[in-house]
Amino acid sequence: MVKIAKLSGYIVFFILAFMYFTPKVALYYYGETRLKEQGVIISQESAIDNGLTLSIKDASLSFKAIESANIKDLNIAIFGIFNKISLKDIKLASTASDFLPTDIKSVDVSYALYDPLHVSANAEGDFGEAELDIDLLDRKLFLILKPSKVMSKDYRSTLRNLRKSKDGGYEYAKAF
Amino acid sequence: MQKLSNPSILKIISTLLILLVIAKSISLVILYMLPSDGVELSVEESYQPKYQRYDFKNMLSSSQNISKDNKEVVQSGISMTNMLLKGLYGTEKSGFIIVALKSKPTNTSIVEVGDIYSGYQLLKIKKSSAIFMKNSKKYTLNLDDLKVDSKYSKSSSNQTDEMVSQKVVSKNDIEHYAKNPKDIWKEISIIELKEGKEIKGFKVTRIKPNSKMATLGLKKNDIIIKANNVVLKSYRDALNIYSKIKNIKLLQIVVIRDGIEREIVYEID
Repeated sequence: MVKIAKLSGYIVFFILAFMYFTPKVALYYYGETRLKEQGVIISQESAIDNGLTLSIKDASLSFKAIESANIKDLNIAIFGIFNKISLKDIKLASTASDFLPTDIKSVDVSYALYDPLHVSANAEGDFGEAELDIDLLDRKLFLILKPSKVMSKDYRSTLRNLRKSKDGGYEYAKAF
Repeated sequence: MQKLSNPSILKIISTLLILLVIAKSISLVILYMLPSDGVELSVEESYQPKYQRYDFKNMLSSSQNISKDNKEVVQSGISMTNMLLKGLYGTEKSGFIIVALKSKPTNTSIVEVGDIYSGYQLLKIKKSSAIFMKNSKKYTLNLDDLKVDSKYSKSSSNQTDEMVSQKVVSKNDIEHYAKNPKDIWKEISIIELKEGKEIKGFKVTRIKPNSKMATLGLKKNDIIIKANNVVLKSYRDALNIYSKIKNIKLLQIVVIRDGIEREIVYEID
């Protein structure tokens, strides 16, 4: 029993040490090269290794060379069992202003090993509140939107693309 | 000291140190294999001179009126209010403009920056105006409003075969499509056309018959390569035009149809 406890302790210590020493900024740069293949480029940012997490400040996100959003603060925490990416103070490009309010307060994307077939996300901003669930097995995404007053009043054409739910919110489902 | 010298504690500490060294070594190997720099957005601007329509027939006939030394094109006694700015080309400090007198609007002259026309020296070329100087005073001549000749505004099937066709598009329609982009894709399908990794244009793959999009002069299999003189080499180029669509009066697109470049000009009215 003592041996098992000792072994477990060594494993946890090694994992923590490995996480601490892992070159997170370089790993992030590698992730950027993979994202570039999909047309996504994060630029002008500063990446800071916080030991166990990685912070990205003032990132400019572009998709297929189109500047899409500016992200003030992005935090990546990968603990293996539970992983979370938090984005704060997002300003979407002005071209998006015809479809939804451009200020997003926060987006939290999480993935846990104890629920390996789902990725979930929550977002909050001038558009209201949104919950997203991605089913990796069935390759489906499901969005629930609770629109703000501004969204309900000024962005009706966007909301028309969503299905109205019984509780006054809106839903959107898509297979990918 | 006695506790530290305890062999079991020493064994634990040494094991932890070994684990630390292993973790650090692995991380150094990973670091060696990973890129040291991130990806930055580099955009090759598809810059072309600003699109302006010129009446080249007038330009050619007027060129006979320009003296061989066109540094001096003087017609004294003409007021700035009697002049028309028909077109401009170039940057602030280099380029030329096309001017005419209101009394003879078809009799145009080409004036370079630094040249003198009717006693006024051309100082600068702005986005939609030209700055002149006379007797130490500056004068601004604004670009003559570009209007599409009414004889072209009604498109006919005969015109679609011409190299240049001109259409009038309602501003309300533009605003509707800008707010409801989904309606665009209900009526037309466009895909990027790549040669290797580079986008060479955007191909029209479907147009809904009898829709508004069908009246715009585009045909299935047309490849849109330019818009307002900007070579469309990326989605960014296309989106830049789209984002300005509400504020532009004239939109020119160049398409390749049956292997031949054709120009379609839209007056947004």
